[in-house]
Amino acid sequence: MDDPWMECMDHCIAVTKEAGKMIREALQKDISIMQKSSPVDLVTETDQKVEALIISSIKKKYPTHSFIGEESVAAGAPSILTDSPTWIIDPIDGTTNFVHRFPFVSVSIGFTVNKEIEFGVVYSCIEEKMYTARKGKGAFCNGVPIKVSGQEDITKSMVLTEMGFKSDLQHFRTMMANMESILTIPVHGIRAPGSAAVNMCLVACGAADAYYHIGIHCWDMAGGAAIIREAGGVIMDITGGPFDLMSRRLVTASSKAIAEHIAQKIQPFPCGRDDTED
Amino acid sequence: MTSTEIKCWGECMDVAVQIAHKAGKVVQEAVKQEKRVSSKSTPTDLVTEADQQVEDLIISTLREKFPSHRFIGEESSAAGEKCILTDEPTWIIDPIDGTCNFVHSFPMVAVSIGFAVKKELEFGVIYHCFDGTLYTARRGHGAFCNGTPIQVSKEKDISKALILTEIGAKRDPATLEIFSGNMLKLLSAPAHGVRIIGSSTLALCHIATGAAEAYYQYGLHCWDIAAAAVIIREAGGCVIDTSGEPWDGCFR
Repeated sequence: MDDPWMECMDHCIAVTKEAGKMIREALQKDISIMQKSSPVDLVTETDQKVEALIISSIKKKYPTHSFIGEESVAAGAPSILTDSPTWIIDPIDGTTNFVHRFPFVSVSIGFTVNKEIEFGVVYSCIEEKMYTARKGKGAFCNGVPIKVSGQEDITKSMVLTEMGFKSDLQHFRTMMANMESILTIPVHGIRAPGSAAVNMCLVACGAADAYYHIGIHCWDMAGGAAIIREAGGVIMDITGGPFDLMSRRLVTASSKAIAEHIAQKIQPFPCGRDDTED
Repeated sequence: MTSTEIKCWGECMDVAVQIAHKAGKVVQEAVKQEKRVSSKSTPTDLVTEADQQVEDLIISTLREKFPSHRFIGEESSAAGEKCILTDEPTWIIDPIDGTCNFVHSFPMVAVSIGFAVKKELEFGVIYHCFDGTLYTARRGHGAFCNGTPIQVSKEKDISKALILTEIGAKRDPATLEIFSGNMLKLLSAPAHGVRIIGSSTLALCHIATGAAEAYYQYGLHCWDIAAAAVIIREAGGCVIDTSGEPWDGCFR
């Protein structure tokens, strides 16, 4: 076979479309909300149903593959990345937005082999924008090639990040200090749309020039990481070192210059890792 | 209001809808082109040629149809025209709300047209330039999104609220400290979340559709709020000053 993983990617796109349809249908009905680790860590039945749909569909075709899914992990499944072909799934990225019917909601799937991301699919399902990227084959939105803005001057950049509740006040203060540090460079602006995977796609298609975040998960980043790289962007750790999918943090940007500038400006705070117990 | 006035403002609103569509299409084309960007009050307070062109298009069209009416437009004010609201029928226009988003092709940009008579806001029209959604409201006649009635969320508990705001163009330490302090209070409530999208008019429309529960901001102009205030009120929501007092339309 020329490309052993292309068939997996085609299947991924098909099941993602079904997942997106399930999410849009759920938006027409009442949504009942449960909480996970805190009153603002929300989950719904739709998150669980969508993840079950995706995993069962893939397992049927690829019974030997491994899975790291947000809701499976919440239910106690391990989240260690091995060399096995592994599907890393966020069934609804932006669950808070979904609950409120606020427009940035996505399905995010990244596929790794030997711990390398081979392809990514992110479906921004309210906007009906399907972002896809296969390693070495470019990035696309609804089949149209996309690329990062190429911006290298941080004073002309649009930066994305998110502000979340932090039970540790010092972590919160560091999060806000990081924002102030970036704002006073100055950058053109900061936006906080509410879905990590969509944020990565906004950088990939040039609508923003950078996204940084401390405290997300591998399932938020895996799909988008492939898309940004194939769109010509850069992804790295917040310290400026190599990107680590299980580190729960990232800086992505349209250029190395901007990524490194942001990495220099922001301070880390502890956020745990996806592959260790907190 | 006399029945003639009622009919007249209805006709004005129909024209507003038409010109919002037309202006919106101009913005949609302009967003794909290279933009010439300059700054106004600070390096982060951006303006483009498109802002000026779209405002000229809107005002010239309206002036031709309604020669006795007054106009308050963002770019006209920047050029030195007075921003005083009188009793006269007055159009209050933001030709491109979210200019920074427009410059970056970030998908939250709107044309906003409000209309006031005797200092009372009579109708508002907001056109989302990226997805073509039209938000409209006429005082006493409800609020609509693409012709479908909309209403605010019924949520009263801040710990279940999604809150929208903006950072604004001011980046001095005192302003940023206040911003952080406000974030701490809201996120500790704990509100469900805070979102920043860069267009006050579209943020306000999301309140009107129930997609978020609240929006607060300092430093807005009357052209940012005039249309959206009608839409929110007609959707069952409220608009107040950040002090908790009644809102004064041109008070920032």
